[in-house]
Amino acid sequence: MSKESQMRAAINQKLIEMGERERLKELLRAKLIECGWRDQLKALCKEVIKEKGIENVTVEDLVAGVTPKGRALVPDSVKKELLQRIRAFLAQHST
Amino acid sequence: MKMEDVSLSSMDNSKMEGFAQEILSDLVEDACLGLCFEVHRAVKQGYFFLDDTDQESMKDFEIVDQPGVDIFGQVYNQWKNKECVCPNCSRSIAASRFAPHLEKCLGMGRNSSRIANRRIASGNNTNKSESDQEDNDDVNDNDWSYGAEKKAKKRKSDKNPNSPRRSKSMKHKNGRLKRRNELEKISTSKKAEPQSAPTHYVIVMDQW
Repeated sequence: MSKESQMRAAINQKLIEMGERERLKELLRAKLIECGWRDQLKALCKEVIKEKGIENVTVEDLVAGVTPKGRALVPDSVKKELLQRIRAFLAQHST
Repeated sequence: MKMEDVSLSSMDNSKMEGFAQEILSDLVEDACLGLCFEVHRAVKQGYFFLDDTDQESMKDFEIVDQPGVDIFGQVYNQWKNKECVCPNCSRSIAASRFAPHLEKCLGMGRNSSRIANRRIASGNNTNKSESDQEDNDDVNDNDWSYGAEKKAKKRKSDKNPNSPRRSKSMKHKNGRLKRRNELEKISTSKKAEPQSAPTHYVIVMDQW
């Protein structure tokens, strides 16, 4: 188990050090904007704000109200593409 | 040995898959949080709801999709057939021809100066024989504008290489005319002048 967690930590570190994590983040962001996910989530945010009132809304309110739906709303194609890239990276750098 | 290797790699594969999913969900959560922070800041700074307008204004400025009319609802063929009166020659001109007509009528714009130059050039070519009896001034005028375009082009090409020199030599001439005259008086031989022009300059430089 510890070996596994060690390996994971090592790969995570590589991911960050090589800048791959940033690239993946940017890619994900671009894809999500393209497919309209961002606008959907903004609409959800508006609902939360109208519910809680502009003055009182906090980051936690938004996060709690929006994140679970956000995860669910990511289209499968976007997920697939990113998984592909992640797997490729792991395959290259796991040894 | 082989068996262990195979089992190790297969275990790694499913673990790897789980690991990849974990990484993906981390990235998605980053994206969500990022959005929440942006929205929260926009709300607190007051610019989140800026692009919302009330229903009435939305209807007023809706895109128009009728034939014969542009997206703002304005007719765009209206002005083709109208006629305008030229303020210069008081003629009635069609709207689409109005601008070029004004250019020529007022004598401004690129083409009108070219046409005018051409007219002058061709006009003087025919007028030269007539004006021989008039003053020298007019003859000089003819010289100036005779073949005006050719001379103009020639002068342009002459101007660049020679103009700094010309102005310099003019300065020199003006400044040193006096000295030269003095030197002429001093020097006895007149023939020596043109030959020893360079030496003259040398003398002048020393005295400077």
